[in-house]
Amino acid sequence: MRTMFKFLKPYRASAAVALFFMLVELAVELWQPLIISKIIDHGIVEKDPPVILKWGAVMIGISLFAFLGGIVNSFYAAHVSQSFAYDVRKKLYSKIQSFSFANFNKFPASSLITRMTNDVTQLQNTVFMGLRIMMRAPLLIVGATAMAFTVNYKLAFVLAAVIPFLILFLAWIMQKGGALFRTVQERLDNVNSVMRENLIGIRLIKAYLRKDYEGSRFGEANDSLKSRTVYVLRMMETVNPSLLFVMNISLMVILWLGSELLPVHGARVGEVVAIVNYTARVTAAFSPLSFIIAAFSRARASSRRISDVLETENEMKDAGPEGDKRISGEVEFHEVSFQYPGSEALILKDVSFFYPAGSTVCIMGATGSGKSSLFQLIPRLYDATGGSILIDGQDLRTYKIKTLRKQIGYVPQEALLFTGTIKENIAWGKEDASMEEIVKAAKAAQIHETILKLPKQYDTMLGQKGVNLSGGQKQRLSIARALVRRPRILMLDDSTSALDLKTEAALLHAIKEYQCTIFIITQKISTALEADTILLLEEGRLLERGSHTELLKESQLYQQIFQSQFGKEELQHAQRSF
Amino acid sequence: MPKDLSKPFRYKRILEKEELTQTKAPSRKKPRAQNQSQTLKRLWRYLAENSRQLYLVIAMVIISSVLSLLGPFLTGKAIDWYIVTRKNEGILLLLGGLAFIYVLTSLSLFLQNYWMIGIAQGTVSKMRTQLFAHLHNLPIPFFDKRQHGELMSRVTNDIENVSSTLNSSVIQVISSLLTLIGTVAVMLWLSPLLTILTLIIVPLMFTGMKWITNRTGRLYKLQQINLGQLNGFIEETISGQRIIKTFSQEENVIGQFLEKSGQLKEAGFWAASYSGFIPKLMNGLNNLSFTVIAAIGGFLAYKGHISIGTIVIFAEYSRQFTRPLNDLANQFNTVLSAIAGAERVFDILDEKEEAHNEGLTLPLDSVIGEVEFKNVSFSYEKEGNTVSNLSFKAEPGQMTAFVGATGAGKTTIINLLSRFYDPDSGSILLDGIDISRVKREDLRKNMGFVLQDSFLFQGSIRENIRYGRLEATDEEVERAAVLANAHSFITRMQEGYDTMLQQDGSGISQGQKQLLSIARAILADPEILILDEATSSIDTITEMKIQEALQRLMKGRTSFVIAHRLNTIQKADQIIVLNEGQIMESGSHNELLALGGYYSGLFNSQLKNP
Repeated sequence: MRTMFKFLKPYRASAAVALFFMLVELAVELWQPLIISKIIDHGIVEKDPPVILKWGAVMIGISLFAFLGGIVNSFYAAHVSQSFAYDVRKKLYSKIQSFSFANFNKFPASSLITRMTNDVTQLQNTVFMGLRIMMRAPLLIVGATAMAFTVNYKLAFVLAAVIPFLILFLAWIMQKGGALFRTVQERLDNVNSVMRENLIGIRLIKAYLRKDYEGSRFGEANDSLKSRTVYVLRMMETVNPSLLFVMNISLMVILWLGSELLPVHGARVGEVVAIVNYTARVTAAFSPLSFIIAAFSRARASSRRISDVLETENEMKDAGPEGDKRISGEVEFHEVSFQYPGSEALILKDVSFFYPAGSTVCIMGATGSGKSSLFQLIPRLYDATGGSILIDGQDLRTYKIKTLRKQIGYVPQEALLFTGTIKENIAWGKEDASMEEIVKAAKAAQIHETILKLPKQYDTMLGQKGVNLSGGQKQRLSIARALVRRPRILMLDDSTSALDLKTEAALLHAIKEYQCTIFIITQKISTALEADTILLLEEGRLLERGSHTELLKESQLYQQIFQSQFGKEELQHAQRSF
Repeated sequence: MPKDLSKPFRYKRILEKEELTQTKAPSRKKPRAQNQSQTLKRLWRYLAENSRQLYLVIAMVIISSVLSLLGPFLTGKAIDWYIVTRKNEGILLLLGGLAFIYVLTSLSLFLQNYWMIGIAQGTVSKMRTQLFAHLHNLPIPFFDKRQHGELMSRVTNDIENVSSTLNSSVIQVISSLLTLIGTVAVMLWLSPLLTILTLIIVPLMFTGMKWITNRTGRLYKLQQINLGQLNGFIEETISGQRIIKTFSQEENVIGQFLEKSGQLKEAGFWAASYSGFIPKLMNGLNNLSFTVIAAIGGFLAYKGHISIGTIVIFAEYSRQFTRPLNDLANQFNTVLSAIAGAERVFDILDEKEEAHNEGLTLPLDSVIGEVEFKNVSFSYEKEGNTVSNLSFKAEPGQMTAFVGATGAGKTTIINLLSRFYDPDSGSILLDGIDISRVKREDLRKNMGFVLQDSFLFQGSIRENIRYGRLEATDEEVERAAVLANAHSFITRMQEGYDTMLQQDGSGISQGQKQLLSIARAILADPEILILDEATSSIDTITEMKIQEALQRLMKGRTSFVIAHRLNTIQKADQIIVLNEGQIMESGSHNELLALGGYYSGLFNSQLKNP
């Protein structure tokens, strides 16, 4: 909760204005029973009409003032709560953008999304309410009790005795409600998660006719959300009737005491009336208070969930400004080993190699041999767990992450595009890319011709994740995105698998002109031919390396790969030709 | 003076930009007011399904409303009878009555809320289920055009709006109306003059409320739309973290995020401000009527027309009178925000389902597996054809392979065959039956798919393979995994088949995902097998091993294969070479080689040792 108050700090002036006008309204309201008792005691009982008129006029004047104050309050409260929510979202989103992949494993995407919208909305509503009525109810209670004391302390004592107990009760409920609402939000996460999975996997679900199966999965998540929500809300609903009951009983006691005290101590009729009136106001104030308690409990849960994200420490340490260096593209792995956070399996074991800037390196190996994992270490998506990676002779960790990544063009296996035009998607690699640069990159990626055939060419909109493009087109587009930034190191993770050989050859030829160090993961010998060196990985170990001819001569694994693609005869033929 | 203080006056006056609300709202353009009342009616129908409980709630509301009128009445009488007269015999009896009333009040309050929460959450849960179920009936193009996060927002944020409204609003509205009627009746009975004076605020109130709700309705909708878009953006950028990170686009996406977040803030500011006016207006009017009663009532009492007790009662009633009005006004606001949310849910529910088959739908129990494309044309966008005038035939048990440059239309053919999309013209026949006359479920029941993007669910590896056939035994699952060459890597994992996969199937490599997808298809054991780049991320040695399994699987089944590595399709009965959505050449491997066209060129470039 405390972290959330920090977010309110920049708006304390506006919040103060809102609260001030709320107090004005409150003061007016508290004043009224007093005025009424004056009208009764001095105006009516003492038969003095001018007094009635005078106080009547006063009441109208202050009512109008309170109304205007209320309007101003509304504007400022809206401003504070919306700005607050905006700032929280900003902080959350920035924090998430700074997350390492290890952090992401801790929070499922669907939960992060719920936290950023639903939870923030809960908080925002609470702040808005807080500035308008939350303070009002407790103040009204305190104020009304105090006023009652000034009228007749003996009668008012009843109020003073009851209220502390009620407040303790509310505090207890709030504590309990907070914990329960947290589980409600967690179950909402689950609903969201099934929903998201279904949206992503809709083709497969339709293909396998798993509508009912998914329906029952969703039903489970949904039912558990429902039953928990019902439980918590019902619990919160016990608050209002209980409070009401206690307050009403107090009112009775006051009436009874009033009737006892009147003859003996000469309490005035107006006084009893005023105190009954104040008690009624306190009672009325408890009803919104119970509502506020529910909202507050909910906000507590939400703020905890938001703080969880904000307080998550990023394990990946970034270098200082001195790490802002240009690189030439020389890459060295020194006994690098790697395992994913939270997993014991060693994915890479003692991998060492060195390649000067401008080399073209192919990485081959069986499925699951660690090729993509090795790739991820170079732009520091993960940090190696053993050994070191050097670029231009310096440890990767001495570079500023941003500077490092700016000079790397990475094309992942799954071609991921964003909602937006083709132009925007390519320019993603370099925000200030000119149209010429974009076209040049598209040409090199062999996608320019295809784009020109589209109805709106470079301004064609791509749907969610670029679905209306074929797999190969998406791949080439994401290669263009990497090329437009003119990287020092280009990394293609099996990104040409969907391309036919001709296109692929043209593409590989074109990127050579970009004069950068190129790492390519591939399954195809034909692609490997373009490389200076081929690295063969097997179960996380660097098994062999060398040029195509060397490996063909010496490596059994490479020979097997060759044979699997070109057949036995070709293999023998190739080997003979050396 | 702190700079922030002038901010509330510097928000963009978005309401004046009428077109903003218009353009942002997708497709539908009914007149707003009509739309709102329809949405409200529709919401009501959901509630009315629990009519029995709803009656109970209403009964409790009536009881508590009557009791809440009786309470102050008796209090006023207690003052008149015992306090003003200073005689306290009999007060205990009256107080006893009061106590009884108070117990009942609290009890009925609790019960009405207890039941209402059940109804409301049941309704909301039902809406969610319907929305989810309906999504599965929507055609694939619907999903291709929308952001996942935007759709998710409807399930969480929009339904949340409905939920919080239903919890309280129904009760509030009913009890407010009842209290209002009751209060006016008692007031009239006590003093018609004072009643009329109290009622002067009503027209004022209505004018003010109409002015406000006119604005809030639109603003709430805009706010929900903006929230949905923001949700969509967040989902997309979280899914795309890998790209964002490697391209160091964090600041860029934060910038875009802030822009969307700012739009939400703006809409939210106005919606909140205007809705905040309502209680203030009511408070102001409340105070006004209080004053009128005090001043004029005081004067009347002075003249001896009414008793002091009457003024007290009236002062209390005037609050009782404005409170329900106040509540009603507040509820009106909440209801508007619920309508904004519900409308967005109904928008999806009203999306047209995948076209049902007109005329007779033909059962497909035993499929022989003859597939024929007759002059099929199709395009994703309305302009230009992705495939045009396509005709070919696959005999039962035959393997058909598609070859061609990317974007030649290979995956499109698969999309059409599985009826993810329907052709713009021409027809596709299965065993001589037009598949547009076959139920999609019946059609797909006979097909097994390995799609280009191998998708895995959060769950164990075993569950993911079993997705192919839910009733498969553990042995069957493992046998399929062995055939798909996935068994060895699975058993090497710490928990073997029970290893949990993260959401989005991360935690294993792309190639391993494909192996699992193949195992899934093997397990499904379909009549027609469809493999779209099923082995593209798998190394060629493993691929060779799977090929044997696949060959065995394809034997005697009609199968359609897309592959870039030509050695995997040499055994195909027919190979269809596509170019820009048209068949360039077709035939068996040897025939095509003899033809010396595109295919033979491609094959030679691939299979000749370079």
